[in-house]
Amino acid sequence: MKYWTFRLFQEKISFQFSRRWLVVLLSWILVLGGVFLVSLSAGSTWIPIHEVFQQLTGQIDKHAFVVETLRLPRALLAILVGAALGVAGLILQSLVRNSLASPDIIGISSGASLGAVTFLVFGTGVVSLQFLPFAAIGGGLMAALLIYLISWNKGVTPIRLVLIGIGISAVMKAGVTFMLVMSETAITTKSYIWLTGSIYGASWGDVTSMVVWLLIPLPILVILGRSLNITELGDEVSISMGVRLQVERFIFLMCSVILAGTAAAYAGGIEFVGLMAPHIARRLAGRSFQGLSIVTALIGAFLVLLADLIARTLFLPLDIPAGVFTAAIGAPFFLYLLFQNRNR
Amino acid sequence: MKNRLTVFLFVLLSALFVLAACGEEANEEASSNGDAGGASEETTTREVTHALGTTTIEGKPQRVVTLYQGATDTILEFGVTPVGVVESWVQAPMYDYIKEDLSDAAFVGQETQPNLEEISALEPDLIIASQIRHEEIYEQLSQIAPTIVNETIYDFKETTALIGEALDEKEKADSLLADWETRVGDFQEKVSSVENWPMSAAVLNYREDHARIYVTGFAGSILTELGFEAPKDLQGDDLEIVKLTDKESIPQMNADIFFQFMEDTPAVQKTFEEWSAHPLYQNLDAARNNQVYKVDEVAWNMAGGLQAAHMMLDDIYEHFEIEQ
Repeated sequence: MKYWTFRLFQEKISFQFSRRWLVVLLSWILVLGGVFLVSLSAGSTWIPIHEVFQQLTGQIDKHAFVVETLRLPRALLAILVGAALGVAGLILQSLVRNSLASPDIIGISSGASLGAVTFLVFGTGVVSLQFLPFAAIGGGLMAALLIYLISWNKGVTPIRLVLIGIGISAVMKAGVTFMLVMSETAITTKSYIWLTGSIYGASWGDVTSMVVWLLIPLPILVILGRSLNITELGDEVSISMGVRLQVERFIFLMCSVILAGTAAAYAGGIEFVGLMAPHIARRLAGRSFQGLSIVTALIGAFLVLLADLIARTLFLPLDIPAGVFTAAIGAPFFLYLLFQNRNR
Repeated sequence: MKNRLTVFLFVLLSALFVLAACGEEANEEASSNGDAGGASEETTTREVTHALGTTTIEGKPQRVVTLYQGATDTILEFGVTPVGVVESWVQAPMYDYIKEDLSDAAFVGQETQPNLEEISALEPDLIIASQIRHEEIYEQLSQIAPTIVNETIYDFKETTALIGEALDEKEKADSLLADWETRVGDFQEKVSSVENWPMSAAVLNYREDHARIYVTGFAGSILTELGFEAPKDLQGDDLEIVKLTDKESIPQMNADIFFQFMEDTPAVQKTFEEWSAHPLYQNLDAARNNQVYKVDEVAWNMAGGLQAAHMMLDDIYEHFEIEQ
C-alpha cells in the first residue's frame, strides 16, 4: 500500500494517507450519512426524507418535535457514543499491542458500570439522574487508575496492563452483581437496561455534554497520535526513536478512559463496539493510527446508530435498548471480513 | 517543546470554538420548542405538585397516557379510558381483567422504555409516569404534554390521589380511597374473631431457579395495612424482596399463612415441587397447618393499581371465608 505523508506546523503534526484509506473513508462517510438520514425519517411515523430536510432548514415546522427533539439528538448521541467506543478500543489495542484488548475487557467499562449501578442503587430518588454520567466516568477513571497503579513496576508493560485489567474487570463485575442483588426490583430493572446499553431518551443536553467530554482527548490524539505508530513496533524501538514511552502510555490510557467512560455515561454498557470497530477498520484501511482512528470512529458510529435504528423501529411500538443489537450487526460483518481475507 | 504547546493550545481553542457554536444552536432549538405549547381554552388551571416538580394542568384532561401498570388500572376507576398505555408484564399486551376496558387504547411500548414518538403522535393532554421508571425522559414527556410523576410504581394510594388531582376529580379520589378504607376496616373487624389472629403472612413466588419472598411492595404493604405480620424470621428487617437461591434458606419463609403465585411453566412447577417436598418446607407453620393458598400473580404483584388492590382483598376475604 502506498502512503502519502502530510506534515504540518513545522512537522509537529503529521498524517499518513493511502489512496485505499481515502476510498474507505469516503464510502463510510456515505454509509453513515445514509443511515443517519434514515434514522431521522424512520420511526413510529415515517417522515419522507425531503420533509426531514425542510424541517431541518426551517421551511416547515410540523415535525419539529419528532425530528428535532427526539430523533436528531438520539441519532447524534448514537454517533458520538459509537465513535468514542471505537476509538477507545483502537487506542487500547495499539497501546498494549494486543488486538484482543478493548474497554470491555480490561475493566474500564466494568468500572463505569459499577459507578453507574452504585449511583442507581443509592442515588435514585435522592440525587437527580443528571449526575449519573459523573458516576459512570468516575467509576471508569477509578478502575483505570487502579489498573495503572497496580501494573506499575518501574514503568508499565502492556502484558501487565492487560492481565491486571482483566483481574480488575472481574472485581468490578463482581461489584456490579453484588449491587444488583442488593437493590430493589425496580432499580434492578433499570440497572439491567443501563448495562445492556441504550440511547433511549437522548436530549440535546446529553449531546452537548458528550461533545465537551470528547474535546479533551481529541487534540491529544491529533498531536500525539503518530507516536502510537511507533509504539506498535515494541518498547525498545520506540524508546530509541525518542518516544517518551511511559508518559505517553499514561496519556493514551487516560484518553481511552475518557472516551469509553463518557460513552458508558450517556449510553450505558454497550459492549462489542470497542472491540470490533478497530478490527473492521484495520481490515479495510491499513495501519496508520490517525487515519485508522477516523475510520474506526465512523464504523463505531455506524454500528451504534444502526443498532439503535433497528432497536427502535423493528418491533414498533416497542423501543428496545440498542445494546441488544450492536453485536448482532457487527459480528456477521466482522466474520465476513475474516472469511474473505482467510487466505492472506 | 514550546512549539508543541502552541499547537496544542491552537487545536484546543479551535475545538472550543466549534463547541460554542454548537451550544448556541442547541439553545435555539430549546427555546423554539418551548413556544409550541401554551394556547388552550380558558378553564380551571391547577398546579399539581408531584415527585419531579410542579405541573400546570388546564381543565379536565381527556386524552391521557399512562406509563405504568398501576396508573392504567387506577385511572379506569375514575371513568377515564387512557388513549395510550404501556404493555403489561404478562398476558401481553394487556391484563385480562382490564383488556376489554382498554380495547380502544394504543400501546406505546414497554413500561421500562415507552416509545416517545408514539406518545407524541397520540397528542395527549396528560401523561402519568413514575419517577423510578421515567425520570430521565421527564423533560421530553413534559414537552409532549403536562406530565405528573408518581414516586413509586406500587403505591396505589399515591397513584389514586395524584390522578384525582390531575383529572380535577379530587372528590372522586377521596371517595375511592374512603371506600378502600371502609373495606379494610370491615376486614380488620371481622378477621379479629379468627383463631390465631394476628397472623404472619408470606407472599411467595417460585421461579425457574429460585424462590422469592415479597415482604414490602404492593402485596406486602396491603397485607400490613390489613393487620398481617411480616414473615416470622424477617420481622423488622425492612427488606423489599428476599431472593432464596438455596433450599437451605427455606426457614426464612416461615409464616402462619402463605400466599403464593408462580408462572404456569414446567420449569417453575418443578422448582415448586422440589421446594415444597423438602423436609425444611414441611416443617414451616403454614405447611403444617395447611395454610398455603395459590393466588393470582396479576392482582397480587403485576398490576399494582386500585382495582388490583380490591381484587387482592377479595381473594383474602375468600380464603378466610369471611362474608363481605
